[in-house]
Amino acid sequence: MELKQQLVIPRAVEAVWQALNDPEMLQHSLPGCQHFEQTGDNAYDMTVSAKIGPVKATFNGAIALQNLNPPFSYEISGEGKGGVAGFAKGGAKVSLKAVTESGEPATQLSYSVEAAVGGKIAQVGGRLIQGAARKMAQDFFTQFVRRLCDDETIELVIETIETP
Amino acid sequence: MYQFNFHKADNLSTAVELFNAFDEPMYIAGGHTLIPTMKQRLSAPSDVIDLAKIPDLDAITLAGDTLQIGAMATHAKVAASSLVQGHCSALATLAEGIGDRQVRHRGTIGGSLANNDPAADYPAAVLGLGAQIVTDRRTITADTFFKAMFETTLEPDEIIQTIHFPQVDQAVYLKFPNPASRYAMVGVMLTRTAGEARIAITGAAASVFRAAAFEEALTADFSLPAIDAVTLPAETLNADMHASAEYRAHLCKVLIKRGVNALSS
Repeated sequence: MELKQQLVIPRAVEAVWQALNDPEMLQHSLPGCQHFEQTGDNAYDMTVSAKIGPVKATFNGAIALQNLNPPFSYEISGEGKGGVAGFAKGGAKVSLKAVTESGEPATQLSYSVEAAVGGKIAQVGGRLIQGAARKMAQDFFTQFVRRLCDDETIELVIETIETP
Repeated sequence: MYQFNFHKADNLSTAVELFNAFDEPMYIAGGHTLIPTMKQRLSAPSDVIDLAKIPDLDAITLAGDTLQIGAMATHAKVAASSLVQGHCSALATLAEGIGDRQVRHRGTIGGSLANNDPAADYPAAVLGLGAQIVTDRRTITADTFFKAMFETTLEPDEIIQTIHFPQVDQAVYLKFPNPASRYAMVGVMLTRTAGEARIAITGAAASVFRAAAFEEALTADFSLPAIDAVTLPAETLNADMHASAEYRAHLCKVLIKRGVNALSS
């Protein structure tokens, strides 16, 4: 599964970068995140419970941030096990670009995700994975931007970039 | 399957009371999504509350111009109902084409709507026909009912009671089924009421949606040339091992064209 999307955040690049490296910020933005703990330099353990329709699974996993190029880009890689439900593994490249929006400094955030799921969840839910990934990205960034801008009313527009 | 407690509710308020008394409750209607998921251990409710014994929840009646279908009516019952066939034959055809015989005799219209599977047929019927969903506490219009993949505006403990279908002038449902699952790769419900075209598409995106550009063009001029230049953007459509997003976008237009042909002849 691949997903490439971009969005504009009405904050300067440095502020967005800082938030993207703030464990508390990430924990509160991640839908269903029950546990988030720093285990080393740029390494985290987490527990996420995902509910997609009738399926409910709790994933335990670890993520690491790599190839850090502050404040412009990094890569996230991780994998998680959901017990009887199966497993998920994947990575994302995130990059930031300074833009202006209505005369104010803003940030264009683009990311490309590659993920694979296996086990029962892939057998039963194969046709749903892309939709689920889009929805999780939408939920994550909506929370993230709302927290960053301290404005609960922001409706985020995420644009899907066509794969060439 | 994990162990769970089974409760039979004999009326709606008891069902809601039971639901609110437990940690991880689930209502069960036909169970054709819930039971397979529980068997796979992908879902483990502590308490399952059966709605099958609530009287009259599967009734099909006609009140003036409005067809009222009870939430527990099975697909087979809807397909065979002369009231449904007389009011809107496209709806009976749609019900007849869901899943296989077993699914049609157990699966229910209310269960399908509350689940809002992105490839289920009934969401297209409800949205395309402009139906209203009556629950144990309010009435919800189709346009506000479906929120996202597997998400509706229903509260966790809310129960669908009946679905009210208004009279439309013309309607047709065209489905391109996945040959293995019989789920819609794309399903199109095209209706016309007083010249106004309404199109709901299921199976193509994360949730059922209306094809606004096609509706506008067909309302202005109900003909094939009117939609020649209209396209559906593929970016937000589903892509999987069966079909790419571009293929689905193309399929939507092909089915809409077939629908226009069917309603013009």
